Amino acid sequence: MDSSNPVDIIHLENVNKFFGTFQALKNINLTVRKGERVVVCGPSGSCKSTLIRCINRLEEHNSGTITVNGHELTDDVKNIDAVRREVGMVFQDFNLFPHMTVVKNLMLAPKLVRKASRSEAYETAMRYLERVKIPEQADKYPSQLSGGQQQRVAIARALCMNPMVMLFDEPTSALDPEMIAEVLDVMTDLAREGMTMICVTHEMGFARSVADNVVFMDEGEIVEMNPPREFFDNPKSERTRLFLSQVLSY
Amino acid sequence: MDALDGWWDDYFWGSVVVAEVFVVALILTILFGLIGAAAKLSGNRAAKAIASGYTVVFRGTPEILVLLLIYFGSAITLTAIAQIFDPEIKFVDLPPFWAGSFAIALIVGSYATETFRGAFLGVAPGQVEAARALGLSKLQTFVHVRIPAMWRLALPPFGNHMLSLIKDTALIAIIGLEETLFVAAQAIGTTNKPFTMYIVVGAIYLGFSTIITLAVMALEKYANRHLEIAR
Amino acid sequence: MSFDMALILDSIPKMLMGIGLTLQLLFLSAALGLALAIILLLMRISGRWYLAAPTMAYIYIFRGTPILVQIFIIYYGLPQLEFVRDSIFWPILREPFGCAILALTLNTAAYVSEILRGGVLGVDRGLKEAGAALGLRAPHRFIYITTPIAIRLALPAYSNDVISLMKSTALASTITLLDMTGIARTIVAETYAPYEIFISLMAIYLILTWMIQRSFGWVEKRMSRHVREEV
Ligand SMILES: Nc1ncnc2c1ncn2[C@@H]1O[C@H](COP(=O)(O)OP(=O)(O)O)[C@@H](O)[C@H]1O
Ligand SMILES: [Mg+2]
Repeated sequence: MDSSNPVDIIHLENVNKFFGTFQALKNINLTVRKGERVVVCGPSGSCKSTLIRCINRLEEHNSGTITVNGHELTDDVKNIDAVRREVGMVFQDFNLFPHMTVVKNLMLAPKLVRKASRSEAYETAMRYLERVKIPEQADKYPSQLSGGQQQRVAIARALCMNPMVMLFDEPTSALDPEMIAEVLDVMTDLAREGMTMICVTHEMGFARSVADNVVFMDEGEIVEMNPPREFFDNPKSERTRLFLSQVLSY
Repeated sequence: MDALDGWWDDYFWGSVVVAEVFVVALILTILFGLIGAAAKLSGNRAAKAIASGYTVVFRGTPEILVLLLIYFGSAITLTAIAQIFDPEIKFVDLPPFWAGSFAIALIVGSYATETFRGAFLGVAPGQVEAARALGLSKLQTFVHVRIPAMWRLALPPFGNHMLSLIKDTALIAIIGLEETLFVAAQAIGTTNKPFTMYIVVGAIYLGFSTIITLAVMALEKYANRHLEIAR
Repeated sequence: MSFDMALILDSIPKMLMGIGLTLQLLFLSAALGLALAIILLLMRISGRWYLAAPTMAYIYIFRGTPILVQIFIIYYGLPQLEFVRDSIFWPILREPFGCAILALTLNTAAYVSEILRGGVLGVDRGLKEAGAALGLRAPHRFIYITTPIAIRLALPAYSNDVISLMKSTALASTITLLDMTGIARTIVAETYAPYEIFISLMAIYLILTWMIQRSFGWVEKRMSRHVREEV
């Protein structure tokens, strides 16, 4: 079975990952095509974060292969660099650099990694700040922004590297309810523009309207993966059904 | 190493003096620290001001000056008093052991004041409220909730205070306490081997520091035993 | 007992003649100590045992023994060793000033490297991961993310260590140096007025402590613009 395909951007094959003796990822197979939007959900501790963190090598997998845009992730630093340049990531708790202003946060990686000039980096930064609708906050420090604004800055910061893929790890979980929408709006726009995304989230409305595929994980396994219609209206597995009943009954 | 022949017992007794000073000073340090913290936390303006003055002065001036001030200061005061009764008397001093223990306890006590104060304030108010809501009296709450929570918070910094204390005992040799540094000076007088003699002193102090560190680690483990299962 | 005001007014200028030496000891050993501390830190966190282990031993020894003993080993002890007398450092090590600088530097470096390590370890892992996810390589992450944040975290503890160092400079008086404390001790030996002399000198040291605190406070404030609320 030939598993790689020119339009596949992300390809995981029989991936296993251990923390000590604890097996976090169990034989994961997942393919994401260019422009595809995948939502990953599952109970807390089901290793959703671990899965997407393996994709940009914040965690190392122990066996199986992970290929991102043709680069297979190994110990080779060159490949890791290449992958990280093409994969942007947004974290649950923003992780903005607290000692830099917003615009400096956005300019850092383009200058150091892409060797962009100061003015190029600045222009890019301002362009993306406008896209996330907060150009006026450019010279503030992260701690002076609301949670929703900080997360939008974090998204803009990742976009400044012009990634092919965006990974989101529960981007709205640390936000007050009234700020969730502003972040989801930005993500929805991004999806409409054709960005390839893998998004861990419990926002089922977002999954329904944006995702091409929804993945359900439990105990380190991919239990089910289907388009949202199928996934929500006709879940195959008992575990998925139980999970959905808990999440949706909120 | 032959140079050390005949000096081992002197070093041993010098070490005993270090240990004695440490114990006396430790008790005084806890006392000064508790009084200082109580004063700082009290509503009494004068008590607060005195305690603040105490911590500012003793944390902000060289240890050796405090020691010299207390030793020589007490000596001229005692001499003046003694001369009232007997004008023949030339010099009366506090024994270096007591003057020194008192001085280093005053210094380290000023740090302990802040540690105890911080530990008292660091106990989550919710714990105290919960105990009161359960019907415990103020005193019961203090004994069963506040004190156990406090000493857990105070232990790590207090371990550092104990290390400061043991190291400060070396200063007391300056006013003539016959501890290990003093022994070394005597030994050098006859053997002319200063490096050897002072290295031995360093090794002795390193031994004391190690014992204190291990003891504090054991105490911390005991104090935090309730957290172990969660790991 | 009366306070001899005239003596105080007479002695303060004399003691201040030693402030240059006190400040030289402070600034020189603070600067050299910081440089050494950074080297020790890099060795300690290098992840290579043959670099980390000697560093840990160094820190353990220098923090586990009294600074006074370290000063005596260097000043009185080293000349016993022939290779020291033959070395190119002998011109420095035969002078009490060089010995004091060396002892203070070695001592403060041990403490400061641990303070810096605390800062480095305190940097939120998520921030380093965010840097990695953006494609920054380890050296860039260390320079642009870890270091600036670690400095901010370490600054309060570092300022306390500079104050400790300032207090330790007074021990230079035990190896014949005439810093402020050394001068004060000679004046007391002549006048036998410990209260007047030592208390006024303590006041001078308190002013120095206050100035160090103010300077660091100013730097901290400047560096923590990012945590200040809306302007
Ligand atoms: N660095 C780590 N070391 C050990 N265990 C870890 C580590 N990271 C995560 N885990 C464990 O892996 C499991 C899955 O974690 P995670 O991927 O964060 O789950 P999720 O994101 O689905 O909530 C958890 O049981 C967690 O304790
Ligand atoms: Mg997670």
